[in-house]
Amino acid sequence: MSESVAGITPPQLVLDVEHLAKAYGRRQVLKDVTFRIRPGEIAGITGENGCGKSTLLNVIVGRLRADAGRIVHSGELGYCPQELLIFESLTVEENLRYFATGYGLHQRDAVWQDSATNLLDRFRCSQYMCTPVNRLSGGTKQKLNLILAFLHSPDLLVLDEPYAGFDWETYLQFWEYARELRAEGKSILVVAHLVFDSAQLNAVYRLNGGVLECA
Amino acid sequence: MRLSYLRVGMAMTARELLRSRLVLILLLVIPSLFFTIVALTTTDRLITFRLAAISEKPLIEVSERSESLVFIGTAVAGLLASYLALGLMHKQSEVNRRLVLCGYHPSELIVSKLAVLLGVIVLVGIYVGGLLPIFFRPERFALAVLGLMLAGFVYGSYGLLVGALFRRELEGILFIVLLANIDAGWLQNPVYYAGAQNQFIIRALPAYYPSQLGMIGAFTDRSAIRPLVSSLGYGLVLLLVALAVYFVRMRVRR
Repeated sequence: MSESVAGITPPQLVLDVEHLAKAYGRRQVLKDVTFRIRPGEIAGITGENGCGKSTLLNVIVGRLRADAGRIVHSGELGYCPQELLIFESLTVEENLRYFATGYGLHQRDAVWQDSATNLLDRFRCSQYMCTPVNRLSGGTKQKLNLILAFLHSPDLLVLDEPYAGFDWETYLQFWEYARELRAEGKSILVVAHLVFDSAQLNAVYRLNGGVLECA
Repeated sequence: MRLSYLRVGMAMTARELLRSRLVLILLLVIPSLFFTIVALTTTDRLITFRLAAISEKPLIEVSERSESLVFIGTAVAGLLASYLALGLMHKQSEVNRRLVLCGYHPSELIVSKLAVLLGVIVLVGIYVGGLLPIFFRPERFALAVLGLMLAGFVYGSYGLLVGALFRRELEGILFIVLLANIDAGWLQNPVYYAGAQNQFIIRALPAYYPSQLGMIGAFTDRSAIRPLVSSLGYGLVLLLVALAVYFVRMRVRR
């Protein structure tokens, strides 16, 4: 059985994953995954299609249960899934309000609204605040998908293919924001097919055969 | 359960529902369309039947049209409620799961949906029931409307259960349409029931108690306590099973 605990890691670690294993039936996707992330680190995980990157992130955030291993994280966690998980018939503002409530920010409207306004400005989509999501372009939907993970200023961001569908400007903006977050001591775990920006990362791992290797 | 979370959940669920044109069209058009078809295809000839839920078993004599309208009204209320419930449970289920990962409790999400569903069921009951006096004067109007609302409640709970069990919407719609068709749309007609074999099967189906309640309210002055309590019990059991399945599906696996 896996063990996952929040808030009891030693202060130098924000995420500690040890000997994680996960199988779908007879197919062993994760065999023995171990890695750590410290505050102010950006780590990247890459690998081929179907190698288990998303499964690993899903286990870390609690969407899937591991068969074995241990996950310990400290502080708040923000998660951007690979697929668009946003309410299509609600407006951008309504999505932000709904998720802000989930994060417990709804009692402090000014706090989450400031955070949301800054993020929307940064990713150049503040003009869509009152637009229903189903009228937005794919790239703008992906921006909202990502912004929802940033909204509560989490200590650890777990991002699954976060810049798929972004234009070049937004892609650069994403990495600029990631560097700012790192400077504030926040940590980021990002998964991508290919990591072009290895210079931005403190550690790059490759998931191969269910095991993480240093890339 | 946190009230502020419920308030936001209910507001967002209601907005999602109101922005679905298909749902609004179904809610407004289906009852009046079905009633029009019944009114055009039935006659005023008197028919006689017994209601299974009345212990003394008196013969009830009403027009074929009146009986058919109450019967179809029950089926419509049940079908619409179960379709809505399926949609609430099914659509955006993974987005709801993301909300749970962000801090919402599954109970807050499901209670928000349930509150909106119950509100719509009450409105549908009033709307469908409100059409009845155009065609005939129900004996006890409020009780007839209550029968329609409870048909919505029982079938709404069934829709929630189907939505929680099946991942794909098509399977869920099939399960709803098939049961609603054979149960509320056929077997619960008291004229058919009177001559049916193995009546215990019909009595075990979801629409039995609500349709009996609607018929008792529309055509008699007899006690309706038993079908009333049984409808609530039947709906609650389905609802509890649906909630249990929903919690298992939505739980965070840490």
